[in-house]
Amino acid sequence: MNELEKQLSERKIELQSTTAPPELEGRLRDALSTIPPKKAKPLKLMWRLSAAALFFIVLVGYQFNGFAYYGKKFLGFDDLNSGTLNQLNEAGMGQNVDEQIVLEDGSILTIDGVMTDANQLIMYYTVSNEEGLDEESIHTLHLHHISGFLTNSNASSGTSTFHENHTEIKGLMRFDPVSGFAKNLTLTLHEYIEDSPLIEKKITFPYNPNLAMQTQLKQPINETLKVDQGQITFTSITATPTSTFIEGKLNVDNYGRLNQDFAGLELIANGKPVIRSGSSSRSHIRGYTFDIRYDALPENLETLELKMKRFVGYEGLNQRVDLDSFVGETIDLNGKRLRIKEINRAEDELHLIIATEDDVLLDGVTLISEEASIPLSTTLNQTYTADENGYEWKVRTLVFKTAGDADALHIEGMHFMKEYDLSVEIPIK
Amino acid sequence: MDVKKLVAKAKKGNKEALVQLIMARKDDFYRLAYSYMGNEHDAMDAMDAMIVILYEKIEQLQKNETFYSWSKTILVNHCKTSLTKRKKMVLIDDWQEAEDQAAEIQHSYFQIEQQLDIQELLSHINEHQREAIELKYFHDLDYQTIAKITNAPVGTVKSRVAEGLKRLRRQAGGAVNE
Repeated sequence: MNELEKQLSERKIELQSTTAPPELEGRLRDALSTIPPKKAKPLKLMWRLSAAALFFIVLVGYQFNGFAYYGKKFLGFDDLNSGTLNQLNEAGMGQNVDEQIVLEDGSILTIDGVMTDANQLIMYYTVSNEEGLDEESIHTLHLHHISGFLTNSNASSGTSTFHENHTEIKGLMRFDPVSGFAKNLTLTLHEYIEDSPLIEKKITFPYNPNLAMQTQLKQPINETLKVDQGQITFTSITATPTSTFIEGKLNVDNYGRLNQDFAGLELIANGKPVIRSGSSSRSHIRGYTFDIRYDALPENLETLELKMKRFVGYEGLNQRVDLDSFVGETIDLNGKRLRIKEINRAEDELHLIIATEDDVLLDGVTLISEEASIPLSTTLNQTYTADENGYEWKVRTLVFKTAGDADALHIEGMHFMKEYDLSVEIPIK
Repeated sequence: MDVKKLVAKAKKGNKEALVQLIMARKDDFYRLAYSYMGNEHDAMDAMDAMIVILYEKIEQLQKNETFYSWSKTILVNHCKTSLTKRKKMVLIDDWQEAEDQAAEIQHSYFQIEQQLDIQELLSHINEHQREAIELKYFHDLDYQTIAKITNAPVGTVKSRVAEGLKRLRRQAGGAVNE
């Protein structure tokens, strides 16, 4: 200790002989007694609100670990967004990312930001190149999947448009939802460039799960509807600010025979149908699980109903169509139409060109001759044409392996989009 | 004594908890107030005002464990405000006196002694440096708290202390053997 420090500490000791006068305590109490006690505080109200929030969280099975503070709005994406997403973007419901990566052709991919909820992650991105971008550039780039803690989300759909004299592409890609525990997300992107192997790149950005938007409605449905060849069970509904997902499982023998399985399923909110944005299904050992995606539910939801107007059905026909008499004619198949347009012979094969409505698939078709019945070998060249009345036909060629003549076509049944008009009420808790 | 628990109670409006917190370190608070105000009467007034402010503002304290540095900051701020209000810079006046005394003494036989009083020394450095040194060496406050009390960045406080000490040494000059 040098002299100065010694002096300082001596002075300190000297000062320590100064002590608070004994009346201090009384003075302090008196001072406090002059001010009114605090009223029941905002703190208590906070607790009550927190308890209510906690209850709500438990009730709806809220999957994200906090309430959100939003604030980011992405510019230039209005053309791509649905009305719902534009409104959310306008309200600044996204979170900023602003990370860039250089692509093989020198263009720059910028992840502008993401908007997340329990149903999906929506990524807003920009590809820019001052020297211009061609139509191909967007096809060479695939935003493939997002990974992170407890997260492996595949891209589900996306859109993009050109901006700024073809020097910029604004895009929007939807991914499966990400975990509420992920703090960082990594986007894996693939570049497909001609004559070169697939190029994979990764870009990692911080993510705040607390900024995910709250789920508005999540509840089980557990209603089963019977259809001709099986049954469909709707298990749950999850409605978030960006979208509404109906999940379920089905075990229907002829599911997937027609393209438009879920097109006849309408979600009716407050009496009005909600726009359907897509559906997907996955096969399992026993049947399929599926989800059908709709737009976000309206505010002030009062009623919610799932209407199955149409779904793939099956009709046993056991109908014989005489080839000679029916070429060029329209045949009635229990309310659906069939036309046999041409019969062509090619070596050992007989080609029947037939046309039906789009949603009709013939089942158990055999060619009947005097000697035998010949099963359908294959179907070729499916096309669509409109006839003189503007009626849409699905045209295809049925191929039978036979060298002989044929008298008639036997049709056991048909798969078609059947009017069911069933509905499931979803109680709003 | 569990400071955090008492602070939590005080936050709920418990006046007794707050009194206990202050009384547990009453001398520290008092000395701090005294060193700014310069007399018992004003120091006690400052303490009264402090506890009222603490009671009203304690909900704003985010980390309960930092209660003491927070409350000392409030005490000092109050002292400074009331000093400014009364336009009565007690410390400086006092020190001017001390300096005058020291000068007198220097002219007398103590001149040979050359044992300079630390307070006389302190009067030769600037106000900020002196305040920082006093808070650090006489009141045992850490840099963080001093920074809050003097409303200056921590780095500035450190350099004020260092610079002040350097000047004090120079002032003491050859008179003090180091």
